[in-house]
Amino acid sequence: MSYAYLFKYIIIGDTGVGKSCLLLQFTDKRFQPVHDLTIGVEFGARMITIDNKPIKLQIWDTAGQESFRSITRSYYRGAAGALLVYDITRRETFNHLASWLEDARQHANANMTIMLIGNKCDLAHRRAVSTEEGEQFAKEHGLIFMEASAKTAQNVEEAFIKTAATIYKKIQDGVFDVSNESYGIKVGYGGIPGPSGGRDGASSQAGGCCS
Amino acid sequence: MQEAELHDLSDDADYAASQQQGSSSTMRTDSIKRSSSNEPDGAEIVYSKDNVAIHPTQFVSERISGRLKLIKQGSSLFMTWLPYKEQNSNAKQIEKAYVDRNLYTIKAVPFTEVRSIRRHAPPLGWQYVIIVLSSGLAFPPFYFYNGGVRQFLATIKQHVFLVRSAEDASVFLVNDFENPLQRTFSSLELPRLVSVASGPSTPISVGESPLKENQERINGYESSSISQYNGRQRQKVHDPTRDISIQVLEKFSLVTKFARETTSQLFRDGHSNGFGTFEKMFDSQPAQDDLHKASNNAEKVTDEIPVASDPLEFDKLSLVWGKPRQPPLGSEEWATFLDNEGRVMDSEALRKRIFYGGVEHGLRREVWGLLLGYYAYDSTYAEREYLRTIKSQKCILAFLLNYDFSISPEQARRFTKFRERKGLIDKDVVRTDRALTFYDGDDNPNVNLLRDTLLTYSFYNFDLGYCQGMSDLMSPILFVMRDESESFWCFVQLMERLGPNFNRDQSGMHSQLFALSKLAELLDSPLHNYFKQNDCLNYFFCFRWLLIQFKREFEYEETMRLWEVLWTHYLSEHLHLYVCVAVLKRYRRKIMGEQMDFDTLLKFINELSGHIKLDAILRDAEALCICAGENGAANIPPGTPPSLPIDSGLFYSQQEDEVL
Ligand SMILES: Nc1nc2c(ncn2[C@@H]2O[C@H](COP(=O)(O)OP(=O)(O)OP(=O)(O)O)[C@@H](O)[C@H]2O)c(=O)[nH]1
Ligand SMILES: [Mg+2]
Repeated sequence: MSYAYLFKYIIIGDTGVGKSCLLLQFTDKRFQPVHDLTIGVEFGARMITIDNKPIKLQIWDTAGQESFRSITRSYYRGAAGALLVYDITRRETFNHLASWLEDARQHANANMTIMLIGNKCDLAHRRAVSTEEGEQFAKEHGLIFMEASAKTAQNVEEAFIKTAATIYKKIQDGVFDVSNESYGIKVGYGGIPGPSGGRDGASSQAGGCCS
Repeated sequence: MQEAELHDLSDDADYAASQQQGSSSTMRTDSIKRSSSNEPDGAEIVYSKDNVAIHPTQFVSERISGRLKLIKQGSSLFMTWLPYKEQNSNAKQIEKAYVDRNLYTIKAVPFTEVRSIRRHAPPLGWQYVIIVLSSGLAFPPFYFYNGGVRQFLATIKQHVFLVRSAEDASVFLVNDFENPLQRTFSSLELPRLVSVASGPSTPISVGESPLKENQERINGYESSSISQYNGRQRQKVHDPTRDISIQVLEKFSLVTKFARETTSQLFRDGHSNGFGTFEKMFDSQPAQDDLHKASNNAEKVTDEIPVASDPLEFDKLSLVWGKPRQPPLGSEEWATFLDNEGRVMDSEALRKRIFYGGVEHGLRREVWGLLLGYYAYDSTYAEREYLRTIKSQKCILAFLLNYDFSISPEQARRFTKFRERKGLIDKDVVRTDRALTFYDGDDNPNVNLLRDTLLTYSFYNFDLGYCQGMSDLMSPILFVMRDESESFWCFVQLMERLGPNFNRDQSGMHSQLFALSKLAELLDSPLHNYFKQNDCLNYFFCFRWLLIQFKREFEYEETMRLWEVLWTHYLSEHLHLYVCVAVLKRYRRKIMGEQMDFDTLLKFINELSGHIKLDAILRDAEALCICAGENGAANIPPGTPPSLPIDSGLFYSQQEDEVL
C-alpha cells in the first residue's frame, strides 16, 4: 500500500507496562497475553487515514528494562511520535516517567509528539495512579494524555491516531521540514519526493501509484 | 597487586565514625593477634580487620561497619563479623539500630560451610568480597574500607583448601576438589547427609528422601568405579564414601585435611612437568589443555583448506566452505566415545563431533552437562548419577523460597531488592516461550520451575541478580534437563561464560559488540566501512543475537543445535561472533545495495528471525573462523564473553571486575 506520509513512532516505558500488547492490539486488533518479553526492539506497522490521506505508522516497540537503555536510546533517533506508557496499577511505573521523558527529550528530536498512556485501565480495582495525576503530569510536560487498555482495546486506536493527527497538524503548520528525515517523517506519493524516498520497501514499490 | 586506595570517603558517615572510634586498632589489625579473654578455649585469632562494612541499602547512612575475624579452633577455621555499636545520642535510636545491626552479626561460621569467596576489586571504590555458603546463600558483600582482602584470602588459604576457580578468576573455591564426587562432598552441606556408609557393600543413604533407585544404581557401580578410579593416578585416594563418613562423624573438621591429602597426592602421582606449586597446576591445567588442543586443532584444519593470506581476499574464496555438516550424534556413536565406566575418553574428539553435527535430543541431558562443565569429561556414569542425586539433595530452592515467606516484615523491608527481582521474574516467566507446549497453558508447572530456577540464581549470584534475557537462556536448559536442580547448575555454568552479558552497565555487551566490529572489519572491510559511513558502527543491530545467543532468531530445536555447537568451544570460544559476521556477509549485497540506514538495517536484521539457514551459516562461520585464524583471535579483546577460564599462574592477579 502506498502512503502519503510515513511516521516513525517509538513506544517507551518500564518493563511490563504493556507496550507490546498495545502495539499488537493496534496492529492486529487482538490481545495476546502470552507473547515474549521484548529484547532490544520489535517492529509493527499499520496504515491509517488522516484528512483522507493514507499514513503509514512504523512503530518501534522498545524493551523497557533499565539496563538496556543505553542501547535502546539509540532507537529514538528520528522518531516523529512517542507513546510513553505506564501501568495504572503499578505506581513505580508512573514515578519513572520523568526519567523516560528526559531520555526521550535528549535522544529524540525536539519536535517529537509525545502521548502519555496510562495502560491497563481495565484493572480499575487495582488502580494505583489516579486519572487526575496522569492528566496533571501530561499538562506539566506538554504531553497528550489518555488512559487505555490493551486488553479491552479501549482508547488504543484513538491513542495512535490522535498522535498521528497531531503530527499531521504540525506538518500542515509548517513545523517540520518533511524532506529532513530526522523528524521521523517520510513523504510518499504526492508529497515532496525526498532524496531517499526509495529506501523504504513500501514506498519504493508503491512509488507514484494511488491507493 | 595493590589494595584499593581509600577513595572519597567524605560522604561516608559510617566510615568517619569508625575512624574516630579507634584508629589505633585500625592500625594494628594487620598483625596477627593472639587471643586473650574473649575467645573460646583453644581458639586463636588468626586474622582481624577493622572497618569491614556491609551496605544493607544504597543509603550511606545505613552502612554498618564492624570487625571481621578469622578464628582457628582445633583444625577448624571460623569466621565472625561483629558490627560496631552505634555511638549515637538518641537512646531509642540506639536500641533500634542495635537490633537492626545485630541482624547482620555473623557468629562463627565454619569454613566447612563456605563454598566460595568472590573477590571484587572495582577500579573505583573499596574492594569487597562476597562469601557464598554451600547452601547457595551468600552474605552481603563485605567492604574492606582499610584494605586487607588479600591478606584475608591468604590467611584463609593457610588454614583451609582454597583454590582459584578455573572458570572465574575472581572466585576462590573453598574445599573444592578436582573430581566431581569429592567436590560434591565438600561443597554440599554435609549436615544433610545424615548417615553415610563406610564400605562398598553398605548402601549410601543420602538424606531423608527416598532415592532408592539412584542409590541402587550407585551401589551397582560403586565397587568397580572406585577401583577403576584408583587405577588412574589416584591410587592413594580412599573410598570417598568412607571419607565422608569420617567427616560427618568428626563434624566436618577433617575436610581440609582430606582435601590437602587428596590434592597433593594427585599431583605427586599425576603431573611433574615443570609447573611449580600444585596450586598453579590446579588452576591452570584444564584451561591450558583446552586452549592448547583447540589451537592445535585449528592448525590441523587450516592445513586442509586453502587460506587467503589477505583476509580481504576472502570473497574470492567463497567456494571455501566449512566442512559439510553431519547428522546429530546418536546414542550408538555416543557410546563409542565412552569407556565402560562412562568416562569420555577423548573429549576433544567428542567436541569436534558435536561441533559438526550437534547431538540427538535424547542425549542432550547428559551431553549438555558435559559441554557446560557441570560434569567433568572424565566423570563416570556413577559419578554423574551421584552428582545429580547429591545436588538435588541440596533443596536449595525450597530453602530459599521458604526464606521468602518466613522472614519478618521488618526484615522483608530489607529485602526490597529481592522482591523487585521476584516481581520481575514473575512477570517474565509468563512471557517466555509460552507458545511451546512445554510451557503453554495456565498453571503450567514448568513455568513455575523456570521461575524457581531463575529466582535461585538471582540469589546464588546476588550481584548479577536477574536481568531480562536470562529467562530465554534458562528455558531450553530446563526443557532439556527437566529437573530443577540440574537446570540450575547447568545455568550456573552457562552464566560463568555469559554472565557479563547481563552486567548493569552493559559492559559485557559492549565488549562483545566491539569485538564483533573488529572481526567484521577484518573479514569484510567493505561492509564494515559501509556501516561506518552510515552511522551503524556500534553494531547495535546485533544486540539481540549476542545477548541471548541467537535464541530469538531460530526455531527452538535449531537454537538448541546452535548452542551445543557454540558450547563445544571447538575452533573458537567466540564462534558466535563469527556466526554474526557470517550472517551479515550473506546479506551484504542487499544491505549495501539498498543503501540501508541504521533504522532500515535494524528492522531488516530483526526480521531475519526465522529466515536464517542454520547449517549454511555454521559452515560459513567455520570457514570465516579458519580464515581469520590467529588474526581473528587477536582481534577479540581478552575477556570478551564467553571467555574460557583465564590461566592465572598468579594467585592474586588484579582482575577486572566483571560482575557489577
Ligand atoms: N489487564 C491487562 N493486562 C495487560 C494489559 N496490557 C498488558 N497486560 C499484561 O501485562 C504484561 C506485560 O505486557 P507487555 O506488553 O509484554 O509489556 P511490555 O511493556 O512490552 O514489557 P517489556 O517488553 O518487558 O518492556 C503481559 O503479561 C500482559 O498480559 C492491559 O491493558 N490490561
Ligand atoms: Mg514488550
